[in-house]
Amino acid sequence: MLSIKNLHATVADKPIIKGLTLDVPAGEVHAIMGPNGAGKSTLSYVLTGRAGYEVTDGTATLDGEDLLSLDPNERAARGVFLSFQYPLEIPGVPALTFIRAALNAQRKARGEPEVGAPAFLKLARETAASLKIDFDMLKRSLNVGFSGGEKKRMEIFQMAMLSPRFLILDETDSGLDIDALKIVAAGVNAMRSPDRAMLVITHYQRLLDYIKPDRVHVLSAGRIVASGGPELAHELEREGYDKYGKAA
Amino acid sequence: MSLSTALRTGDLAELPSRRDEDWRWTDLRGLIRKIPPAYVYEGTGLAPEIMVEGQAGQIDFYRSPFNANRTVRVSNGMVAGLGLKEPGPLVFDRHDPVIALDVTNAGGGFSVHNRLTVRVPHGLSAVLLESHAGNGDHVVSFDLDIDLEEGASLERIVLVSDHAEAIVVRQSSVTLAATASYAQTVLTTGARRQRLETRIAHPGAQASVRLDGAYLLEAQRHADLTTVVTHGGVDGTTAQLTKGVVRDQARGVFQGRIVVERGADRTDARMRHQALILSEKAEIDAKPELLIFADDVQCAHGNTVGALDEDAIFYAMQRGLPSDRARAMLTAAFVGEVIDRIEHEGARAVALAWAQQQLGEL
Amino acid sequence: MAAVKETVDQVGELEAYKHGFVTDIEQDFAPKGLSADTVRFISAKKGEPEWMLQWRLEAYERWLALEEPDWAKVNFPKIDYQDSYYYAAPKDPASGPLSLDEVDPEILATYAKLGIPLREQEVLAGVVGAPKYAVDAVFDSVSVVTTFKKELAAVGVIFCSMSEAIREHPELVRKYLGSVVPVSDNYFACLNSAVFSDGSFVYVPPGVKCPMELSTYFRINAAESGQFERTLIIVDKGAQVSYLEGCTAPMRDINQLHAAVVELVAMDDATIKYSTVQNWYPGDPVTGKGGIYNFVTKRADCRGDRSKVSWTQVETGSAITWKYPSCVLRGEGSVGEFYSIAITNGRQQADTGTKMIHLGANTRSRIISKGISAGKSSNTYRGLVSAHPKAKGARNFTQCDSLLIGKECAAHTVPYIEARNGQAVFEHEATTTRLSEDQLFYAMQRGLGQEEAVQLLVNGFVKEVLQELPMEFAVEAQKLVAISLEGSVG
Repeated sequence: MLSIKNLHATVADKPIIKGLTLDVPAGEVHAIMGPNGAGKSTLSYVLTGRAGYEVTDGTATLDGEDLLSLDPNERAARGVFLSFQYPLEIPGVPALTFIRAALNAQRKARGEPEVGAPAFLKLARETAASLKIDFDMLKRSLNVGFSGGEKKRMEIFQMAMLSPRFLILDETDSGLDIDALKIVAAGVNAMRSPDRAMLVITHYQRLLDYIKPDRVHVLSAGRIVASGGPELAHELEREGYDKYGKAA
Repeated sequence: MSLSTALRTGDLAELPSRRDEDWRWTDLRGLIRKIPPAYVYEGTGLAPEIMVEGQAGQIDFYRSPFNANRTVRVSNGMVAGLGLKEPGPLVFDRHDPVIALDVTNAGGGFSVHNRLTVRVPHGLSAVLLESHAGNGDHVVSFDLDIDLEEGASLERIVLVSDHAEAIVVRQSSVTLAATASYAQTVLTTGARRQRLETRIAHPGAQASVRLDGAYLLEAQRHADLTTVVTHGGVDGTTAQLTKGVVRDQARGVFQGRIVVERGADRTDARMRHQALILSEKAEIDAKPELLIFADDVQCAHGNTVGALDEDAIFYAMQRGLPSDRARAMLTAAFVGEVIDRIEHEGARAVALAWAQQQLGEL
Repeated sequence: MAAVKETVDQVGELEAYKHGFVTDIEQDFAPKGLSADTVRFISAKKGEPEWMLQWRLEAYERWLALEEPDWAKVNFPKIDYQDSYYYAAPKDPASGPLSLDEVDPEILATYAKLGIPLREQEVLAGVVGAPKYAVDAVFDSVSVVTTFKKELAAVGVIFCSMSEAIREHPELVRKYLGSVVPVSDNYFACLNSAVFSDGSFVYVPPGVKCPMELSTYFRINAAESGQFERTLIIVDKGAQVSYLEGCTAPMRDINQLHAAVVELVAMDDATIKYSTVQNWYPGDPVTGKGGIYNFVTKRADCRGDRSKVSWTQVETGSAITWKYPSCVLRGEGSVGEFYSIAITNGRQQADTGTKMIHLGANTRSRIISKGISAGKSSNTYRGLVSAHPKAKGARNFTQCDSLLIGKECAAHTVPYIEARNGQAVFEHEATTTRLSEDQLFYAMQRGLGQEEAVQLLVNGFVKEVLQELPMEFAVEAQKLVAISLEGSVG
């Protein structure tokens, strides 16, 4: 599914990702852990095409198709979804309006018919119920005045509505209390399927108790410095990142 | 120093210039080299109504977007439909408190000046649906005096579609009695030089004012939204929101002044101006002023000028929206905040459609 | 810092304007009135070279053609420029600063009374490790002494009076004088250019971080005289300086004009921090009689890339203040800051603020203004933020708060914003409120007296700006804030 080879990227001419190689096959969930400043969020922005994140070398493909030459919305239409660490507030645009516009833009880009209002609303109601989101909240401006936890839940809601193939969760657990975390994790787990893959970026092991990864990678100074099974996350929780920090 | 005086006297020295503090960004003296002749109707001796009907062909270029049972037309300076002898005031009545005021100027090379008075009687809630349009390089001065009696309320929605070569100054003076309320939303696409000025004499006394506007400018258009609200007594509120979107080489001006006179305690006045510059060469000039002579007040103003938020655009694109869709959506939402504050449902729908059309063209 | 401590204690004892005493010394005056001869007199008195005299005369000619501005929100009777002395100096100070032993003991006593350390040992005798600062003391029209010159010279820093700089460093003066504030920039700057008497000159060579705070202490003593100081600070590539000026004047019931010009030049990567504590005599609080007209032009030219100029001002004095310390942000990535506390009480009028002119790409500016009006005073913030077409990526943030104490004062906020390109981002917030009665009551319920409670709240209101002052002056400024507001509640 996702294949990254020898990726190098800079932000404001400063190298952040320095030769990163990673494969995430369909059906798997991979966790990326690492100390602050390791380049975790940079990786998520490079994969989704944010301006200011320059790729200087290497490749990233989704099912063999180059991602790096595409605009952010073209990547989205191919199924790449990023749950933002800090979701943006969009004043004046109701959440439902925003999501419907996004869904239909993606479908149009893929040559699929648009979803009509009744079908969309039905889907929205069902999805909101499963994520315990008050439907009225969806009529308000997207994320404006929402708490940190509500914003994260809104990200998962959008994820469920847009049904992407490759999911990137950037510090999705930050700002969530334990109940909200369980709801969010359940929403993410419901998305697991043989034809989807996920990259879960997190500083703490806590989230991985709820979203069980198949593989865990340690990112330090712009590179994967260790990979292993779920036990690696527990080891990091016990011993910290010091040994990898120095290795880099 | 005013355009209307200059039109009346033909004296160019009466034109405001950039040396006048209140006209620093809307210079007329440097622009108008010669005062165009006043518009003259040829068919004299007819009642204004008939004259306007007789010129119907001339105003066909434009139809008021508003629908109301009662419409007052002003065409090239001629007033029709007041139902009163000129220059009597336009008085709202209880049976049909919605009036459309439809002002058009057809053709170029002339000047017109109008002064109208509108009165909302005691306790009445009224709506004024005002539209201005033109299709030539005329010079227009339009003064409107609005008088709200005690307990009266008026919502005024003004859509302005002037010609790119027109030079226009519209000044409204609003006087509120105690407990009256006045709400205004002005939407404009600018002109060659355009000043839309509102002066409000606010008595305090539980009276309230909402003063909103938006300018949506392209090409080399200019629009100047100037407001002066003077709180003369205790317990008044003013809430003001102006938004602007400019592109190409357009220039938007916002001057907002709130004055709280000595003794006008417990005044609550808030003013916000926000503008988006969507291209390299567009300009915004703003001067949000608070002049406070009383101490027990809550006054605030905020001003932001900048480009669309690139982070928000990236966010929308990450969800699948193409860049121009994302920009259009964010721009429309930005202006939408002004339109959402219109209370009259029908007018809000008209204003929304009007703004969407303008933004589509932008 | 014994001297400063003393100042603080002394200031703490004050109940009203206590710098209002007169020093009784013999003085030299220029003939009253203003003419080309006055200009020649001043220039000759200072032993200036011919080029300087010509520069002054040209300024005088231009001034004659200018009109006094009237756009500020201040009212005052027309100034009679012929009814003032343009030069007053302690008798026979030779030409320029002396060694301390030669200075008239009365003057030394004056500065001691004001708490200004002119004896280097007074500073040195302070707490170990406490920051030192050098002082240039300007008494009416001349600089009487400059301290720590040798220590500064050792690292290449020139710190002297303007008169001395004209004689000793003409190449620097000729190159930079008038290069930031052109001679005919405005009415008062032009007048200053013709008749300026003294002021401070600073040059910090490339890469040098000035080892101590520099300060100038301005004192108007003579009656019916104006003070027209001229300050020029040039900070070369990668160099840094922190400079402070303080001002006081005797209580006199006629108005006196103070029309200063301050020019700052910052080269690549240079940093200038300029702090002012202005406490000129504000005039009689009840009648409004007397006091200083403080009409000042202060401007910084951030010529170099990544240069930074930070203005901090605490304005409590003067009958009328009319000043806008500004930054011309020319260098790419240059930074301008303006932190201001302006307090008016009694019959004072202040129209003050800043201009941030963004010319270069990625320039940034920040404005924090705190205005407090009490009594029958009027306090106006007036500020301009502009971005020119080449200033891509310019950023400004402005916060402008006004506090009203009492029914008869006025507070105005008049910002001008001019954005001339699509990549500038300007944000401006302003509030005007009165001192919260709830907060006052809360503080008093906890046992504070009314005056103390007001002081406490006001200090909270201005804290963000006080933090920007060099520490030892922040304490002094805080006291000054309290004094300025005494008697404003009740």
